[in-house]
Amino acid sequence: MKQLLKTFKVAFKSINKNRTRSLLTALGIIIGVAAVIMTISAGEGATQEVQNQISGLGTNLLMITTKKEHRAGIDVRMGRRIEKKDFDILQKNSIWMSKLSPFIASGVRAIGPQGNKSTTIYGVSSDYFEILSREIVSGDVFTEEDVNSARKYCVIGETIKEELFAGTDPVGHQIRINKVPFTIIGLLKEEGKGTMGQDQDDMLIAPYTTILNRLYGHRSGYNMIMASALSENHIVDAKIEATELLRESHRIKEGEDDDFEIMTQIELQEITGNVTGILTLILGAIASISLIVGGIGIMNIMLVSVTERTREIGTRLAIGARESDILTQFLIEAIVLSLAGGVLGILLGIIGNQIIYKATDFYIPTDVNSILIGFGFSVLVGVVFGYFPARKAARLNPIDALRYE
Amino acid sequence: MPKKKVIETKKLGRVFINGDIEVHALSEINISIEEGEFVAIMGSSGSGKSTLLHILGCLDQPSSGEYYLDGVFVNTLNKNELADIRNQKIGFIFQSYNLLARTTALENVELPLVYDRTGRFSNSKELAKKALEQVGLGNRTHHKTNELSGGQQQRVAIARALVNNPALILSDEATGNLDSRTSIDIADLFVTLNNEGKTILMITHEPEIAQFAKRIIYLRDGHVLTDELIHNRSTKESALKDLELIT
Repeated sequence: MKQLLKTFKVAFKSINKNRTRSLLTALGIIIGVAAVIMTISAGEGATQEVQNQISGLGTNLLMITTKKEHRAGIDVRMGRRIEKKDFDILQKNSIWMSKLSPFIASGVRAIGPQGNKSTTIYGVSSDYFEILSREIVSGDVFTEEDVNSARKYCVIGETIKEELFAGTDPVGHQIRINKVPFTIIGLLKEEGKGTMGQDQDDMLIAPYTTILNRLYGHRSGYNMIMASALSENHIVDAKIEATELLRESHRIKEGEDDDFEIMTQIELQEITGNVTGILTLILGAIASISLIVGGIGIMNIMLVSVTERTREIGTRLAIGARESDILTQFLIEAIVLSLAGGVLGILLGIIGNQIIYKATDFYIPTDVNSILIGFGFSVLVGVVFGYFPARKAARLNPIDALRYE
Repeated sequence: MPKKKVIETKKLGRVFINGDIEVHALSEINISIEEGEFVAIMGSSGSGKSTLLHILGCLDQPSSGEYYLDGVFVNTLNKNELADIRNQKIGFIFQSYNLLARTTALENVELPLVYDRTGRFSNSKELAKKALEQVGLGNRTHHKTNELSGGQQQRVAIARALVNNPALILSDEATGNLDSRTSIDIADLFVTLNNEGKTILMITHEPEIAQFAKRIIYLRDGHVLTDELIHNRSTKESALKDLELIT
C-alpha cells in the first residue's frame, strides 16, 4: 500500500514534467468522453421529449387500426378496412370506452383570403377534442348534431390562421377546401413543433361525415378509430373489450389472428422508447469509437515515452525497482492521463450540452449514467491501452536499458 | 579479527551464447574483497570487466561458479530478490550519471529509498540531504540536474549511491565523461568515502584514476591477470602535480 502511494507520486511527477505532451495525449480522451456524454444525453433528451408528447396525447388513448405489415419500406394493409360498422359496434356495446371517434386524414389544398396552401384535414367526431384534450382558443368545436348533419364546419390550427388569414381571427369566415367552402367555427390552441419537427398547427379538423360525404362522395374506410378508456386503470379492459367486439364483428374464428391492431398509449410509449433507446445506443457507440481512438493515442505516447525513458527505467531497475514497480508506474501514468482526460471530458460535455440548449432551445438533461459511463470508460481505456507499454517498460533488461543511447 | 567479506566469487564464469558460438566472457574468476577496501578493476575493452561488474552488481547472474555478496548467495535469487538486494546492498555510479532530468538533486538522491521495502529508513528527505552534504553539495539540494555541472551531477549520483548505506559502492567508469581536473576531484571523493569506511569497487580504464585505489585487479580475456596492492597511491596533490607536468 505504502509502495503504491510512492509509485503514485513518481507517476504524477513524470506527468507533470511533460505537461504539454500530457495534455495533448489526454485530448483524445477529453473529446471522446465529451462526445459520449453529449450523444447519450441528447438521446435521452429526445426520448424524454417524445415520451412527454405521447403522454400529452392523453394517457387513456387507444388507437384501432387495420392490420399492417411493413414490406419493402411501405406499410401494406393486411386486414379489413376499419369502417363505420366497426365504429357503430364499438359505440353501441362498449362499457370500458367512454369516448370514440373515427379518424380520417387526408391531404388537401385550402384557400383563404390571403392565399392558399396544402395541408392536412382530419375527419373526426365531436368526441375527438376530448380524447386528445385539444383546446379551442376562439369560437367553438363542432357538436354531435353538426356531425350527424355533415355540416361544412371546420376548426383550424394556428399556422392556417397565420398563412391564410394573416393572423386575424378567422372564426366565422369561409375557407375553401378542395374547392368546397367550409365555415370556420373554431381556432385550435397552438401546439408547436412535434417530436419529429412536424408542425402540429398546420391542420384542419372537420366532422368525419362531412369529409366522407362532401369531400369524397363515396369513401367509407377510416384510417383509425380513436377511443379513450374510462380511466387509466381500464385501458387493458378497454383493449380486451374492443378486441372481442371487433373479432365478433369481423367473424374471426378462434385460433385465427386478428385482422386489426389496437395500440394503447402505453404501448406507443414503449415502442418509441425502444426506437429512441436504440438510437441512443448507436450514437453512443459511434462516440465510443472516438474514445478508443483516444486510447490508442495514449498507448502511442506511452510507447514513445517508454523508449525515450529507457535509460531512466534502467537506472530505476539498477537501484532496486522491481518489475512490478515499473509496471505500476507506467500503468498509473496512463490511467491518470486518461482519467484526467475523462474528468475534463465530462466538464466539456456538460458545457457542450448547455451551449446546445442556449443555441437551439433543445433541452438536454446531462444524463448521470452518461457521466458514469464516460468516467468508467476512460479508466478502462487507461488500463487497456496503458498495460502494453507498461509491460514493455517493466520487461526491459536493466543492462540493455542502461546502455541504451 | 578477520574482516567481513563483501564480495566473494568462486570460479565465477559467464558464457554468452550467440547463435552457435559460445563466448566465454568470464571464466574462473576468484575475487575476494573485504569491508573497507578500495579496488580498481582495469582491463582493455573485451576483457570482461563490464560483464564482471554486471554480475557483481546483481544485474546479471553467473553461468557457473558461486557469488556471495555481503554473505548472501546470489546465484539462486529470483528477479525480485535481485532487485531488493541491489536496493539494499549496492550503490551504483554510472559513467553518464543517469540522473532523472528536470528533477532536483534531493529527489534524485531519494530515489533508491522510494524502492525500499524494508522500511528501515524513516526520513528519506533527511537522509538524502545528509548524503548530499557528504559529497559537498549541501547547498545545491534544490537545484535541478540540468542546472548542475558534470562534476556536480556525478556528485549527486554518488550521493544517490550512498543514501541507502550500501555494503558496496560500484562505480562504472565514473570519471569517463569528466575532464582531468574534475576526474581527480571525484577520485579524491572516493578516497574520502573509503576513509570513512565505505567499500568501493570501481571500473576504469584510466591508470591515473585507478592509482587512487588500494588494490588493482587487471582482467584480460575473461581471466584475472594480476591482483595486487598499490604501494604508491596517488593523492589529489600528486595527481594535480602530474597533470601540470603534462600540460
